[in-house]
Amino acid sequence: MFTDEVLDSVSVQSLWRKSQQAAQESKGCQTRAVHSAEAVVQTVCKTISSTQTEPQDQETEQLLLLLQNRDEPEPPGPRGFLQRVEDMVIRELVNNAKSHAFDGLLVNWENYSQQVSCLHCLQHPRAQEKGFHVTSVSWSCTGSVIACAYGRIDDGDWSTERSYVCTWNLNRRGLHSKQADLVIDVSAAVTALCCHPKQPALIAGGLYSGEVVVWDTSRTHDPILAQTGMSADSHREPVYKVAWVPLQKKGEFGVLSASSGGRVLLWMVDSDQGRFVLNAAYAIVRQQVPHSSSASLKACGRSTVGVTSLALSPWDADTFLVGSEGGLLLRCSFSSQTPAAVPSEGQSVMLRAPAVFSFRPHSGPIHSIHCSPFHRNLFVSAGTDGQVHLHSLLQPNPLVSLRISNSYVFQVQWSPTRPLVFAAANGQGEVQIFDLGRRSPRAAATIGQGDAGQAATCFDFNCQNPHLVAVGKTDGTVGIWQLSTDLTEQSSRENSQLEQIANQVAE
Amino acid sequence: MAEVEETLKRIQGQKGVQGIIIVNSEGIPVKTTLDNSSTVQYAGLIHQLVMKARSTVRDIDPQNDLTFLRVRSKKNEIMIAPDKDYFLIVIQNPSD
Repeated sequence: MFTDEVLDSVSVQSLWRKSQQAAQESKGCQTRAVHSAEAVVQTVCKTISSTQTEPQDQETEQLLLLLQNRDEPEPPGPRGFLQRVEDMVIRELVNNAKSHAFDGLLVNWENYSQQVSCLHCLQHPRAQEKGFHVTSVSWSCTGSVIACAYGRIDDGDWSTERSYVCTWNLNRRGLHSKQADLVIDVSAAVTALCCHPKQPALIAGGLYSGEVVVWDTSRTHDPILAQTGMSADSHREPVYKVAWVPLQKKGEFGVLSASSGGRVLLWMVDSDQGRFVLNAAYAIVRQQVPHSSSASLKACGRSTVGVTSLALSPWDADTFLVGSEGGLLLRCSFSSQTPAAVPSEGQSVMLRAPAVFSFRPHSGPIHSIHCSPFHRNLFVSAGTDGQVHLHSLLQPNPLVSLRISNSYVFQVQWSPTRPLVFAAANGQGEVQIFDLGRRSPRAAATIGQGDAGQAATCFDFNCQNPHLVAVGKTDGTVGIWQLSTDLTEQSSRENSQLEQIANQVAE
Repeated sequence: MAEVEETLKRIQGQKGVQGIIIVNSEGIPVKTTLDNSSTVQYAGLIHQLVMKARSTVRDIDPQNDLTFLRVRSKKNEIMIAPDKDYFLIVIQNPSD
C-alpha cells in the first residue's frame, strides 16, 4: 500500500544576480600638471624696545585682592577705624593706670553685715529624746531646704535603732523650728547624707547597716525611691559617705558610697524597680596602696583599709580622694583597671583597685576631705589629730598644716565664694572659719560657743545663698547661721594668692 | 593687615590690659585677643550697652554724641571707643 517515492529536485534561476554582474564598467582620470616658482625675502633695518609695569598703589591692590581671594575677608575698614581711635584709647589707658581717682572707693550693693549671727535652731524632739546626734546635714540644690540625718557618732556596737531624716524649708512662712516639714523613718542610724545636685527632691543616704538608700521627698506615701538591700553587692559595714557622681551620659547621676569595709561602690538608680544596679566596684587593700617615699606602713592585722571619708574633684571627673581609718590619704581613679586582691564574694561586677597615689598619712582616722572649687590641685583634709592639712594633688607632703583644736576635727569644707577661706568643725561644738590670706593662724570667725560637752559633727555651706551655714551638733540641734559679708565676698587678689600657695613646694 | 596687628600690639602692651575686642556695627566680633566664649559674651552685652548710652546722650541733647564709654567694676575697667562702623573694647585692670 505505502511505497517510497523519489522525486527530482527543482531549481529556480536568480533574476537580480545576473543583472548586476552584467552591468560592470571601468573609468579613469588624471589631474593637469602643477606650476611652481621660488622667491627670497630679507629684513633691511632693526629696532629694540621694551615695557615695564609701574608699582600699584595700596587701595587698588587691596581691592584687587578682595576680588580675587574670597577667603580673605579682612575689610579695609578696621584699619582706618583703629587709626582714628588709637591715640585716644592709649591716652585713656595710660591715664587710668596712673590715676588715683578711685582708690579706696567702696560700693555696697548689698546690705553689709559685720557679724555672724544665728538665724534658726532646728530640732526634732523625738530624735532628741532618744539622744541622737546629728550625723550629716545637706542643703538641697535650690538652697532653701536643709536635710538632716540622725544617728550616733560614738557607736562601736551594732545597733538596730530606728532613726530619722528630717527636712526643713527655710523659705516657707510657717517655719517651725521644733517641727520638721518632713520626717522620714529609717530602719537604721543614718551615717551619711547627700542631696542631689540637680533634682531638689532626691536625697541619697548611707546607713549604719551598710545600705544605701535614695529618698524621693516628692512622694507622700513611700519616700524610698531605691535601696540596696542585703545583697552580695552591698556593703557590710557602715557607709560613711555618699556622693552623687555625674555619669558618662549627660544629666545622669550615680551614687558613690564608701564604707569602713574598704569598699567604694558606684551605683546606678533603677527607679522602676526600686533598686540599685552596681556600676563599678573598688576595693582598697593595704598591699595595693602605692608607697610614697616618706610613708612608713606598720604591719596591721586586717588587710582591708576602712574608708571613712571621700571627696570628688570638681575639676577632674576621673579623680576621687579617699581617707581611711588608719590615716591613709589616697588619690584614686575611676578608670583604673587593676583587679583588687580580694577574694571575690559573688559580686556582679569585678572589684578594682583604684589607688593611684598616696599622700603623707595622718596620725588618726581622717574624717573629712574637700577639694577646692577654685584651684584644681588643692584640697584640705582633717581628722582626729586636731589638724587640718592643705595638700596639693601633685605632692605627697602637705603644703600647710594648721593645728586648730585640741579635740577631733569632724569636718572641713572650703567656702563656695572665697578662694582662701575654709571652715572646720571641731569636737568642742564650734565651727571655725580660717582665712589663708591673713597672717595669723587663728580663726577669722567662730560659730557657736565652745562647749566641751557638745561636738559640732557636721556642717554645710549653702551654695545658693553663700552667707548661710548649717551646723549639726551632738545635742541633736541644727543651727542655721548667717556669716558676715567679709567672709563671703571675694576680693580681687584672692585667686592669685591661692595660686601662689598652690605653687609652693612642701619641705 | 599688618598695621591692624601692630596697632593692637601697641594697645595690648599698655599697663594692665587684659584683652581687646573689635566689634562691628551689628555686634559681631571682628578681631579679638580673648577666647571665643568670652569674646561673644562681651560683644553681645557691650553692644547693647553702647546703643543705650548713645541714645541717652542724644536724647538729652540731639546735637551731642557719645565719644567714649568707661565701665569701672570691682575687678577691672572696660573701655569702649565707639565709631560709625566699629567699636573697640579694651579690658584693663589698672591695679595690675
